[in-house]
Amino acid sequence: MPSSQDRMPLIDMKGIGKRFGGVTALDDVDLHVTAGEVLAIVGDNGAGKSTLIKILTGVYRPTSGTMTMAGEPLQLNDHSDAIDRGIDAVYQSLALADHLTPSANLFLGSELTRKVMGVTLLDNRRMRQEAERVLQERLGVRLRSMDVPTSSLSGGQRQAVAIARAVYNTDLKVLVMDEPTAALGPQETARTLKLIQAVRDQGIAVIVISHSLDDVFEVSDRIQVMRRGRLAGVVNTRDSSITSVLGMIVGATDQAA
Amino acid sequence: MSDSTAVPAASGEPDALAAGPTTRERLDRYVALIGPMAMIAALLLLMAILEPARYFRLSNFDIILKDAALYMPMAMAMTLVICTRGIDLSIGSVAALTAIIMAYMVKSFGFPWWVAVPLAISLGALCGLVNGLIITRLKVPDLIGTLAMDLAYRGFALVLAKGVVLSRFPEEIVAIGRGEIPGFVAIPVVIGLTTLLLGYVIYTRTRLGRYALAIGSNPEAAELTGIPVDRYKIYVYVLMGAMAGLAGVMLAGKLNAVQATSAPFFNLHVIAAVVVGGTSLFGGRGSIVGSLAGVLLLSMMINALVTLRIEFFWQSVASGAVIILSVAFYTWLQKSDRDGGGSLAAKLGTPESRRTLRFIALLFAITGALFLLGWIFAGETTAVR
Repeated sequence: MPSSQDRMPLIDMKGIGKRFGGVTALDDVDLHVTAGEVLAIVGDNGAGKSTLIKILTGVYRPTSGTMTMAGEPLQLNDHSDAIDRGIDAVYQSLALADHLTPSANLFLGSELTRKVMGVTLLDNRRMRQEAERVLQERLGVRLRSMDVPTSSLSGGQRQAVAIARAVYNTDLKVLVMDEPTAALGPQETARTLKLIQAVRDQGIAVIVISHSLDDVFEVSDRIQVMRRGRLAGVVNTRDSSITSVLGMIVGATDQAA
Repeated sequence: MSDSTAVPAASGEPDALAAGPTTRERLDRYVALIGPMAMIAALLLLMAILEPARYFRLSNFDIILKDAALYMPMAMAMTLVICTRGIDLSIGSVAALTAIIMAYMVKSFGFPWWVAVPLAISLGALCGLVNGLIITRLKVPDLIGTLAMDLAYRGFALVLAKGVVLSRFPEEIVAIGRGEIPGFVAIPVVIGLTTLLLGYVIYTRTRLGRYALAIGSNPEAAELTGIPVDRYKIYVYVLMGAMAGLAGVMLAGKLNAVQATSAPFFNLHVIAAVVVGGTSLFGGRGSIVGSLAGVLLLSMMINALVTLRIEFFWQSVASGAVIILSVAFYTWLQKSDRDGGGSLAAKLGTPESRRTLRFIALLFAITGALFLLGWIFAGETTAVR
């Protein structure tokens, strides 16, 4: 099986720099990810992980550097541009409306409708069915119930709903996940890591920001280490170790890809 | 793009620990109704003991229903407003203002009623639009924004009508307020129930209802998923204004008169009805059926006070007490982490409770001491009235 380095990168960010006024958040950072792989981004607080990701999802514009997607230049004015290009994110907060049902959350902002006597109404039944289908077929998840407020589901199931929303709504090519297991216990973490693998296995490129090196080594194919706004190194997960990556995060060693 | 490759079941045991909603969750849907239902039941019980003959008459229930009907349209719209985590305190003034303008259109300008009535509703919608713009564009918090507009709209009403009572409306408008389809049911009740039915459809089956709930439940999530939050907030306030305009028409018809000071407590009555009916003031969760129950409960209560010949001014005290008790009861029902440990005495005995009790005692002592002081140094008395 060809290693991910041999395939054409889906996303190629080169020399990305970002300044906020007098503060340099990112300095000459590269990132590339191919379809069907999990890239983990690690680094201490303030390393620039979130900033880099926000540039990819269109929330920020880079001060310097270039981005291409499948060889074509990638210019994003805002987040909806990114979604149009198939790049979406699942945030740490999950962006779920807790009082609404899982299917309502899954379709939030892009509801399915039907016309009844000329009036456009929500098609609640179809949304419910579709939600069940997406969760089951693409993520292998069956929720405890579709008729409860999303807040009463477990952390892992809420995560699944948030991921299903991203997977369903766009012709998703790149999924970014910001600290997906931060608030989860061990059992839920294991379920979420399986979800990440399920998404990857469908050919979607997954970028995961995580503080947990255990999770990173469990689920990722490559690891990108950031330190103080710069790229400290990129390694293949298989060829590396937690100690080694920890060293790069802290600055004891620097390693080229 | 990625074809929907079915993920094999080996990706994990089914994520269901207990299939389906728990019994508690199935009941949760109806909890919103238990509050007002319990209070209605308690009220009926009380009246059955105290004054059964006069309260439990068909004609009396007719009066209650007609009184409640006036508040139904506004309760519907207010449910949506509160679901978005908003509030509208200006509805009484909007009702009075639009009713006064309608009165002038009909009397001074000879507008036919079938233009004047929709016009009043449309003017109400415009008032709601102003509220919505103030809240979304000028970013004034809804509490202070609608409170200030309440003052402004009332001011406009006074400017237009001054102290005059505008009366003798065309019979169609009076019919809207107190008419009856012979042998069937009162027109205001039909209007009220229809608007609530419309509200139920909006709430459960339209984008407006869904987005109103989403905005109240998690405003950031609503923004992130691309919901045009400002536009839908404006829709909700416009609907509220329109319903206030409708209520103004119904009130003018019912009393066959309107003045600048009409509808003084619409806002409290409607908000109380909605909150008593189980809609959460924190947004995200509401119930149109609950608001219907709340409206009925308040009208039943006021009617009970009148039937018991309780002085008019005590009615406000009673209303306030009922609202507080029902909201407290509802909040208690919602608590899933009730602290079962310890009796009331134990709870009062904690150091923190003791400090609070000491503080309360101090306040009473100061007030009592001042009364005592006044009594000791009391001089000549003069007639109060």
